[in-house]
Amino acid sequence: MTTYANLAMKTVAGVALSLAGLGLAGSLPQSDAADVYLEATRPDFQKIPIGILGFHDGALPSRPGKEAADVLGADLRRSQVFAVAEASKLGIALNGTSGPAKHKLKQAVESGVKVLVWGTIGTRDLDYLLDRFIYDGGDETGASRRLVGSTALLRQMTHRLADELVARYTGEPGIARTRIAYVSEQKGARELYVMDYDGHAPRQITYDGFLNLAPQWSPDRKFLVFTSYQSRTRQNIEIVDLSTGKRSPLVSLAGLNITPALSPDGTKLAFATSQDGNSEIYTMDMQTKALQRLTVHSAGDLSPSWAPTGKEIAFTSDRGGGPQVYLMSSDGSNVRRLTFDGDYNAAPAWSPRGNWIAYVCRSEQRQYKICLVSPDGQKRAQLTSGASIDDSPSWSPDGRHLAFSSTSGGKTQLFMINSDGKEMEQLTSRGTHNSMPAWSPAEIQKVDAQPTEKK
Amino acid sequence: MKKAYQTVCGLLMAGCLLAFAQGCEKTVQGTSGSKTTEQGLGTPKAPVTLPGEERVSDDIVVAKAEPEAARQRTQEMQQEAAATATTGLQDVFFGFDKWNITDDGKQALATDAQWLKTNNGKALTIEGHCDERGTQAYNLVLGEKRAKAVRSYLVDLGIDAKRLTVTSYGKDRPFCRERTEDCYQQNRRGHLVLRVK
Repeated sequence: MTTYANLAMKTVAGVALSLAGLGLAGSLPQSDAADVYLEATRPDFQKIPIGILGFHDGALPSRPGKEAADVLGADLRRSQVFAVAEASKLGIALNGTSGPAKHKLKQAVESGVKVLVWGTIGTRDLDYLLDRFIYDGGDETGASRRLVGSTALLRQMTHRLADELVARYTGEPGIARTRIAYVSEQKGARELYVMDYDGHAPRQITYDGFLNLAPQWSPDRKFLVFTSYQSRTRQNIEIVDLSTGKRSPLVSLAGLNITPALSPDGTKLAFATSQDGNSEIYTMDMQTKALQRLTVHSAGDLSPSWAPTGKEIAFTSDRGGGPQVYLMSSDGSNVRRLTFDGDYNAAPAWSPRGNWIAYVCRSEQRQYKICLVSPDGQKRAQLTSGASIDDSPSWSPDGRHLAFSSTSGGKTQLFMINSDGKEMEQLTSRGTHNSMPAWSPAEIQKVDAQPTEKK
Repeated sequence: MKKAYQTVCGLLMAGCLLAFAQGCEKTVQGTSGSKTTEQGLGTPKAPVTLPGEERVSDDIVVAKAEPEAARQRTQEMQQEAAATATTGLQDVFFGFDKWNITDDGKQALATDAQWLKTNNGKALTIEGHCDERGTQAYNLVLGEKRAKAVRSYLVDLGIDAKRLTVTSYGKDRPFCRERTEDCYQQNRRGHLVLRVK
């Protein structure tokens, strides 16, 4: 269960934002954010130029080749690892199944496009077969293991290729096959959904017709824990197995049981309950079900977020009057206040690399925005701006993006933004209310470090 | 509740093993081409994964859960709303970020207490609600503070706390949805609901 946490804690060489390409001009909060973020990254990193030559699909009517190329391009741009070159400007023909001419590939790489990728897509029964090829100099073109998947899963197959490329050139798992759990309003009820990280393939998880809130993933990404209202008077924290839909109650204490969060190793559930009269943070051992009370205060304590080490917890408390973000050790000791700017700071989310805590801040213009603060409180940045209510920041497992909800378009919708405040992208557009995003951990999978076959 | 997580994990592992076993079986059957029509014409063949291939599959399978429970819940809430409408019970409204009972609120609760004394066998749910400003999570706590302030005031007026259950929906079950102060005021409330069971 600790695999991902370990990965996230590793110092990853070679991955950082390109200083030159950022274009630091812009509104104040954004340039503040960029200044702070750069200290945590390698300023000498250059994005890797990559060319997507396309996918030969033998003119299948569904045109999977074009879709695969589009999805791969979007994935690689979002990865912040690659600079995607225009395929048309490379002037390299795919030549059907025989593949592009070697001397053309060589020329392109010598002219600066470091990596070239292409593929062929065929069909077998109801499956697509995707063969993909990577050329990054030398005499060989590497072909990886053939991907097979139902024709409905072409996007997933392409995401798999994007993650493979990220892993090959950075040594860390990509995020193209991650998912986002969230709350969506359907027929007057708020239900849990899961969608792909790019907003595609939304799937409804609950059909309760009432109110489910605050989903969070298990570290193995097979389960969601969430707050479920059973009736006006019954409410608990539940766990759902995403592979079967089976649900079980985890916490059914008297009062409100809200904001669950599993520890990075999956052994403990932190949550807030008001069984003591006001909201307090507890942990529950997932095996023994033993409860441990962490906070003891007459004010409201809620929204625990684990540090990737599992040793500390950030949380919201209004013990100072209004809500502020606090930190404590995961046994409840050493409580200290983290945020001091402004009179409303809440909903902390500790980054997977441990170096930032995202939270909702109320700006001087009385707008609710996404902010970042370092765990020592020394560095702070406001990521979003404008007149809207932004809420529930959630980190991508690579720490380079945040998902959050925003009312900027009138309705409440989900967005993602780079952790330097750039490249905001809208993820949902259906319905009137999509909120409380929770970004899944990265998929644990074997990634071919080197091509398994040569051609 | 004990060991629920372990049970779920166990079931999942069993499910995976089963799926894996089936997958192998299907591969063999598929490659030999011996089993294609068991489920009738038009049924897709079992997917084939050959050696050296990697199958990309969807790991989220969700069945529709308990539509009957959802229907019953909806029905019960409709009954409660209809029953409440006949009582003349008054809701209580709050200031922005506040949970103290205002003078108007005290007047409303005096009337509500009178009704509760007259209808001694009845029990209420007090729902705390908030406007859309602020975070969803913190508004759940703010809503609970409002509901508890209402309960506390009614108890002070002589109502047995056992007849008053509190809950909070924060900003997640709003009464109105416009982005105006009027609407915000409507949503900052302690909503009294007559229990039907």
